[in-house]
Amino acid sequence: MSELQPLSQPQQTAEPLLNVQEMQFWLDKAVAWGQADSPDTQKDTCLHLNRLRDFLQQLLAHINNMSSTAETMKKLPLLGQFLGRLCWNPYVTAGDTCRRLLLQCLWGLYSEHPSNAVERKANQWIRKVLCQLATEEDDGVAQALMKHMGVPAKEYHVNVLKKMVSLLQENIGKSCCSLSDINRRCSCDSILATSDACVPLITCPEASPLIGALLQQPVTCVKEALSEHFLDALSSAYSSWNLSLEEQAVVSLWYHSLPSLEEAVLSLLESVTNTASTPQMLHQQVAQSLLPKACAQHCSMFLVANDIYRSVLKQAEGNESVRSLIQTFTRCFLRELALLQPQTSVSLKAFFPQSPQSLLVPLLTLPSEMPQESWRNHLNWLSGSLQRLTEEEEEGNGDSRSTRGHYKVFETWFLLVQCAHWVQAAVQLLVTSEPEDCGPLLWLLTFYHHPTNRWHHRALQLVRAREAWEHLRSVFLVSARPPIDRLQSLVTPLSSQPQQPSPAPLLTLSLLVNFAVFCQRPLSVSTEVLQMSRWCIILVWLMKQHVFSAHWSSD
Amino acid sequence: MEAVLKNLSSTVELLAVAANSGAANSGAVEQWDKHTMSRAFDWARYCEHVHSRFHNNPAIRRVMEQQLELTNRSLQDVIPGYTEVSFSDLPRLQHLLLIGLLNNPELPISLIKMLFDTRSPLDNMQSEYQDVTGLCSHIIRCKAACKVLSPLTDLSAAGAEVQGRMLMERLGALLSRGSDTRPAEHFLGCVLQGCQGAGRQFCLVITAALLTTKNSAAQTAPREFLLDWLQNKHSVLQSLCSALPATLLIDLAKEHNKFRDAYCDVLKKWASDMEYCISEGEWVQTSTNPTVSFHKLTEKFMALFEACPSLRANTEKELKALKISDGDFDVKGLSVWGDLLSALNM
Repeated sequence: MSELQPLSQPQQTAEPLLNVQEMQFWLDKAVAWGQADSPDTQKDTCLHLNRLRDFLQQLLAHINNMSSTAETMKKLPLLGQFLGRLCWNPYVTAGDTCRRLLLQCLWGLYSEHPSNAVERKANQWIRKVLCQLATEEDDGVAQALMKHMGVPAKEYHVNVLKKMVSLLQENIGKSCCSLSDINRRCSCDSILATSDACVPLITCPEASPLIGALLQQPVTCVKEALSEHFLDALSSAYSSWNLSLEEQAVVSLWYHSLPSLEEAVLSLLESVTNTASTPQMLHQQVAQSLLPKACAQHCSMFLVANDIYRSVLKQAEGNESVRSLIQTFTRCFLRELALLQPQTSVSLKAFFPQSPQSLLVPLLTLPSEMPQESWRNHLNWLSGSLQRLTEEEEEGNGDSRSTRGHYKVFETWFLLVQCAHWVQAAVQLLVTSEPEDCGPLLWLLTFYHHPTNRWHHRALQLVRAREAWEHLRSVFLVSARPPIDRLQSLVTPLSSQPQQPSPAPLLTLSLLVNFAVFCQRPLSVSTEVLQMSRWCIILVWLMKQHVFSAHWSSD
Repeated sequence: MEAVLKNLSSTVELLAVAANSGAANSGAVEQWDKHTMSRAFDWARYCEHVHSRFHNNPAIRRVMEQQLELTNRSLQDVIPGYTEVSFSDLPRLQHLLLIGLLNNPELPISLIKMLFDTRSPLDNMQSEYQDVTGLCSHIIRCKAACKVLSPLTDLSAAGAEVQGRMLMERLGALLSRGSDTRPAEHFLGCVLQGCQGAGRQFCLVITAALLTTKNSAAQTAPREFLLDWLQNKHSVLQSLCSALPATLLIDLAKEHNKFRDAYCDVLKKWASDMEYCISEGEWVQTSTNPTVSFHKLTEKFMALFEACPSLRANTEKELKALKISDGDFDVKGLSVWGDLLSALNM
């Protein structure tokens, strides 16, 4: 095999040289596909589409690396035959990606200024193939009819395609396993066949009603009605924005294919943590992702999403944006759930199986659903319950190796993260609290930021939080002019390296911001205080996070 | 009107330029760029609109036909092997332009790339505006998708339905021009010829045409016309009745009384062509292409009566009269009518 020797000039890219054996393999495949039209050949073609796409990509890079068509044809003499055969294979030309790559290979072989007979012939051949592809009709009768009826080919083919799609849709609607009639043959096989056949058509807009119908047909049979191949292709097309589906079709896709649901949740997480956004933007992002709607319809999806959130939280605890996402997600989810079914209290347990049941309804109720006067009592109760639960677990497990207690604490804390609207309410109330009332609220706030004693030093943080609160109180409420040096002393510990655990900047800053906004002092005082702080940028961000959402949650 | 005629003429000339290479044009298409090509398709689309607007107006149509004749003649002098563009070609002018361009070796490759550009599917969904970019890509995709789906559902049946619908539209248009039915008849004749006789495809198209219009009142004229035409063309009618599956024929009979009667007549004609074959002990058709056995014939009659009960009484009377004319014997093998009556339990 002396065909493929390395070129004398250095390769521009590090692409491995195209293997002649691989070329032969694909050519044999193309020949086999062209000869037979049996269901097996069709299946084989569909199964190989991904690999073919990759091969075409390689081929394209190879062609572009060559300096002339004549050279390409010398290195790969079978290339023309191969591309020609693929052009006439409808499974290859129906899908956008393969068709695009195929055409690009052809463009690569076209020479603007042909310098020899090989190149001139190649040019002619390319033009001929393209002309035939676009204008030739296999059906002579149809062609004659089009001519006499004055119907352009494009309109005709589009209409025939739409007709076929609607016929197939009807078939899907009619066929479903009826458990009452055992004698009737299960029609899941035909649905499976249809879903397999639709794999090359995923990017074809005219076929999307059919794909929607396939996804949304009721799952009545024990057997898997939709081919895995189909679901995989759909989910990768959807996640790379190559596809537009109706909302319900997307929900059905996630329902059928767990990997695509996980992919959607992870991409939402990624998009949220990469870009800073206001609470409104976050809310919009979450709602647009369709995940809350999907989770409201299918409990299993909500559980999967939350499992993903749990593991992300455990890995990146301090990440405030993840916590905001979880809170916004839960809120959107509850809204969707309320739209679906008026009485939500019935099924809440199913959606939150691991959370402490006594705290479910109290935490899930939004502050806006309650008169503001009753917040304090509610928060006191919440704080007390949480405290009891947590301390019980921690005391009961003197053995540091036991994980069960920590699991319960984690679930309690996770539920609080999902319902962080109450934490915001607590911070807001802390501004107007007296020293005798602030205890439970401070505990709640500290627990939110530092859930455990063992790893987060909650008790110590509680003390520091109280100090910070008292300090801020004196700065904002008591003195006429805020003493800047005292403020600096508050801010200084935040900038130093944490030799000892200091109150989380977030906790202190959220207190600071809330004091600035909700204290009864004139605005100028607050702004002056904030301007003095060295943490302006973080403050602005934090303000957007907490204050606007607090405002928004309270109306 | 003057302006319209001028535009029409210019567009046909444009089409000629697009389709023909060589010295006569001094490489005109070679100079084309993206905008020129888009404009050319826009003009072709304009002509398509002109056709749909004025084809029902005989006076204007005549004027346009004359203009086209003039333009054709002048182009024929200049361009060797020029194919004429007639008034009835106008609705497909964009397609003709495309064919001309793609067959022209002088078309710049950049323009071909533009025609075959594969846009992202999201773009396709949003733009209803017929952009020239990706035109060929769209056609290829639709044709390929039809072939991919054809194992699952009958491609020819879907094709026949679409063709049937278009047939009715065209018939409707031709008939609304006036009381002269000759263009409509001519059209049906051309279609018949284009289908190479009354083969299966033609029968499917006619059936689809008759069945798809059941809900629309506006289609009565073309429907009646088609039924009358069918009744008059006996050979076509016979081919229809033998080529199509029984269920389709019954659907047709249910929908259209004229067809029901015509179908019944065909069945009776088949029966009258039968002779009793003693060796087989059965009635067989004597024509060169026997299409139906006696047993099948009775089945067809029974199915017809089940679907159209009103027919039963009259047919019974007719068959009885025919039996009497044959001698009114109750012995098997003497009169096809008698055997038919007893097989049908009448």
